[in-house]
Amino acid sequence: MLESFKLCFQITLRNWTVYKKDLISNISPTVADPALIMVSLGLGLGAYVTNVEGMSYMQYLAPGLTVATALFTSFFESSYGFFVRMTYENVFKAMLTTPIGVGEVVFGEMLWVGLKGAIMSLCVGIVLSIFGLMANPWLIPFLAIVGFLVALPCGAMGLLATALVNNINQFQTVYSFIIAPLYFLSGIFFPIEQMPNALRFLAEFFPLIHGVRLAQAIFWNREVLSTFVLHGGILVLQSLFFCAIGFWKIRKKLIT
Amino acid sequence: MMITAKSLTKTFGNFTAVDHIDLNVHQGECFGLLGPNGAGKSTFISMTYGTVQRSGGELLVFGHDPKTHSRDIKKRLGVVTQDNALDESLTVLENMLIYSSFIGIPRHVRKKRVLDLLDYMNLTHKKDTKIITLSGGMKRRLVFVRALLGQPELLILDEPTTGLDPAIRHLLWGKVKELHQQGTSIVLTTHYMHEAEVLCDRLVIMNNGRISAEGSPRNMIHQHTPGYIGIFALEDREKIHNLSSQINSFNAHEDSSGIYLRAATLEELTSLHSQHGLNPLQIRPSNLEDVFLKLTGQELSDDA
Repeated sequence: MLESFKLCFQITLRNWTVYKKDLISNISPTVADPALIMVSLGLGLGAYVTNVEGMSYMQYLAPGLTVATALFTSFFESSYGFFVRMTYENVFKAMLTTPIGVGEVVFGEMLWVGLKGAIMSLCVGIVLSIFGLMANPWLIPFLAIVGFLVALPCGAMGLLATALVNNINQFQTVYSFIIAPLYFLSGIFFPIEQMPNALRFLAEFFPLIHGVRLAQAIFWNREVLSTFVLHGGILVLQSLFFCAIGFWKIRKKLIT
Repeated sequence: MMITAKSLTKTFGNFTAVDHIDLNVHQGECFGLLGPNGAGKSTFISMTYGTVQRSGGELLVFGHDPKTHSRDIKKRLGVVTQDNALDESLTVLENMLIYSSFIGIPRHVRKKRVLDLLDYMNLTHKKDTKIITLSGGMKRRLVFVRALLGQPELLILDEPTTGLDPAIRHLLWGKVKELHQQGTSIVLTTHYMHEAEVLCDRLVIMNNGRISAEGSPRNMIHQHTPGYIGIFALEDREKIHNLSSQINSFNAHEDSSGIYLRAATLEELTSLHSQHGLNPLQIRPSNLEDVFLKLTGQELSDDA
């Protein structure tokens, strides 16, 4: 068990070693996207939308964008990234000749996307708090936990997609019809309460919405503890669920 | 015993990749698996360390079942994989240090172990070079380094020299022989007959998932294609055809490069010139390639 965890960690380290070689281009979308949305929507649209649940539009957007970073970084890493490592680079073929097994490959990957989600959310959160968008900046460290808890199930969904697609282009379909719609339904841009009940119900199954609620509690300093218990708990369950299915499916790809 | 397989079988859907094979690999020997592409060599290799799971039969590696004890097995073997699968954006040293961590080499000896092996494979001067800029032969040597990091008892070489130039091939053969002499057990898959002849103590020829012959290279030649081969121009087809119907000690077959005539003695072939005016392009002792073609040729031409 300890040995297994060590190996997971070594895989995470391996990914970090490769990732940091091209740090600027790897990190660009994660930093640039929230900044772009903040400026265009926050400043642009925010001039007309001046009161969302009693706050400015920028204040409303800030928590959701922080968490969305964790969604995108984890989903893309474990879909396109994992697929390329598995299919084109054959990284796992070589890894699996060492004491590393499929379990370590998958959970090493999950640890990596989780940590990446944590760090990205933390960084975006810090920047936004500098612009005064956080009621209590002492709560910033909690954003790392939220980032981790969102990245884990979203990364596992990416992994599941990797196991199911036949070629790399099909990720586009997964993104367009599942990830992107749910991104817009997760209460980042507008309060979800105004959507039809059926859509709201659907969105609850997507991890992002719970992460958004957690981040909102942290940013706005509202009922932080109780939100963590409820939505943090849901994220843990979703993580377990998606990781289990992702592992089961991807195992069949790596061991035949 | 390093590897024991009994009636080992692997099917993928309707396709039987490995079909009830029996084989043993002994400690300290260099064992060869020969066969055309798709014969089931790599499937067998992958079964030994658990990335392909058998459908039937028995398989033990170091006395362990790879289905349940793959990690114990993998700690004791090194694999030169068919694909290099190196991290192209990293340097030689970075790549090997990562693999050292996977293999569980203690942190304080990792660098020394890697540098020693780079030296052994004449790659020291490339240690800070990115993989993407290495030549094919260098990458292959680096994959050997990776396979040797864990000081394996059993070294698996899955088509180790495919696509390499003769100089690199001979260099790698030398290293394999050295490792073999030092007591490392070796399993080699290849479709280069000469490679198998040079390196292997014992080998099997696989075709369509089955073992069609087994033995030492010398014995196999002796048993299946004893004697000498004369290669004749295709224009001599008619003459030879008449001949081989008269003399039944000859064995003939033909491909695009010529007509191959096998006889038990050198004199029988040279006498063709004096008695029938037939000039061979070349006369040579028969080799493993002749055995291979005899045993697998039929099936190959069906596919071609």
